[in-house]
Amino acid sequence: MIEQYQRKEAFLQHVNPSLKLISVLFIIAVMIPVFDPWTPLVLFAATVLMITSLGGVSLRFLLLLLLPFVLFAFSFVWIQVVFPDERGSTVLFSIGSMPVALENVLIGMSLGMRALVFASWSLLFVLTTEPTKLMLSLIQQCKLPPRFGYGMMAAYRFLPTFQQELKQIRKAHKIRGLGTNSKWRNAKRYAIPLIAGAVRKAERTAVAMESKGFDGSRNRQFYHTITWNKNDALFLLLFISLVASLITFRWALL
Amino acid sequence: MSLGKPLNLREIVVMAFISAVFGVLYLLWIFLNQIVTGVLGPVGGGLMAGFWILAPVVCALIIQKPGAALAAQMIAAGTEVMVGSVNAGAVLLLGLTQGLGAELIFALFLYRNYRLPVLMLAGMSGTFANFLTQYVMYGYSQYETMIVWFMLGTMLVSGALLAGWAGQALSYALVRTGVLNNFALGRSYYQKKMEESA
Repeated sequence: MIEQYQRKEAFLQHVNPSLKLISVLFIIAVMIPVFDPWTPLVLFAATVLMITSLGGVSLRFLLLLLLPFVLFAFSFVWIQVVFPDERGSTVLFSIGSMPVALENVLIGMSLGMRALVFASWSLLFVLTTEPTKLMLSLIQQCKLPPRFGYGMMAAYRFLPTFQQELKQIRKAHKIRGLGTNSKWRNAKRYAIPLIAGAVRKAERTAVAMESKGFDGSRNRQFYHTITWNKNDALFLLLFISLVASLITFRWALL
Repeated sequence: MSLGKPLNLREIVVMAFISAVFGVLYLLWIFLNQIVTGVLGPVGGGLMAGFWILAPVVCALIIQKPGAALAAQMIAAGTEVMVGSVNAGAVLLLGLTQGLGAELIFALFLYRNYRLPVLMLAGMSGTFANFLTQYVMYGYSQYETMIVWFMLGTMLVSGALLAGWAGQALSYALVRTGVLNNFALGRSYYQKKMEESA
């Protein structure tokens, strides 16, 4: 499902992965000094709009992915109500002997919305970026040493194999009458053979990669080059205007 | 000792593969983590934080070179993003700070001591870095001081046990399979065994 969106021919998919990644980190930095609930709410709405319109992701799928985060966000609200740094004076209602203050609910909502904003911007990045392109862009634009980039790409390629191996190990244990105990003990029994297999495969892969010059000792060229184009400029413009209007909005609000 | 030599491709690929296996487990973990955090709040989430430091502790113990812990954590974070983490931005930032936290301890011991107390300390330092990052990122300054301290406490315990102790147990179980014979930990284990049998 995710791959299908990553390959879509929409605007966000054609923006340089490194630029999108930087925008995610920038958004986190921008949100840190914000403690009112409205700014993150507006930003969250804008992000969802961007992902659906510019990234071509269906709203239903996006909200489904964000669902677990709503629970996470909600925990910020109740913790803030029960254990605030400063209890507010505008009491809405009381649960038992504990007063629930409007100020604390608002701060809790702000922190919760902030977590949702982080998640939605991360999704903007993840849902529109092919992993291979991300690594190539990090190597070509951010000067990540190719040893690291290609090493991660190799590991990424083996992920389906690991999942298959986990199934095999599980079945092998079952045939021998194991694997009906607690889940935790099973996990321990699966982890060792899985990692041992991974280390063996890694060594073989590394030898193959070394022999083909993927270790950065030779000056290899790239089959796929990732360059800056006008989409990046457009995205940058959009991003700057988004952040600028957000700051103006906040300034007008306070 | 191999002090001072940079990480080579073989070590990086092995770290990436181990981290990838952990990365898959992380994805299961983050789901569980969110449910526990949602119910118990960030305090309960703290109990599970140590798991995030498992990859750098295990990789540092196996490879025993400067930079191994930081690289392992960044690779784990990178792999997680490639798989499609819902929280890519936070994962990358936390990966960097946690990796630095664990790396700091190994550096303090000049990359020569990889006994259990050091590993536990590295795990605790990693979760402490995680705590600081989350404190800033998710605005923990708005909570009651006591609950924040409590959160830190659970995270430190989790770092010592889940990352340090479990990391060592996992690594030594792995050494006995013989796959690590080309790495620092495997070599020292093999040497010790030869001396005992001689």
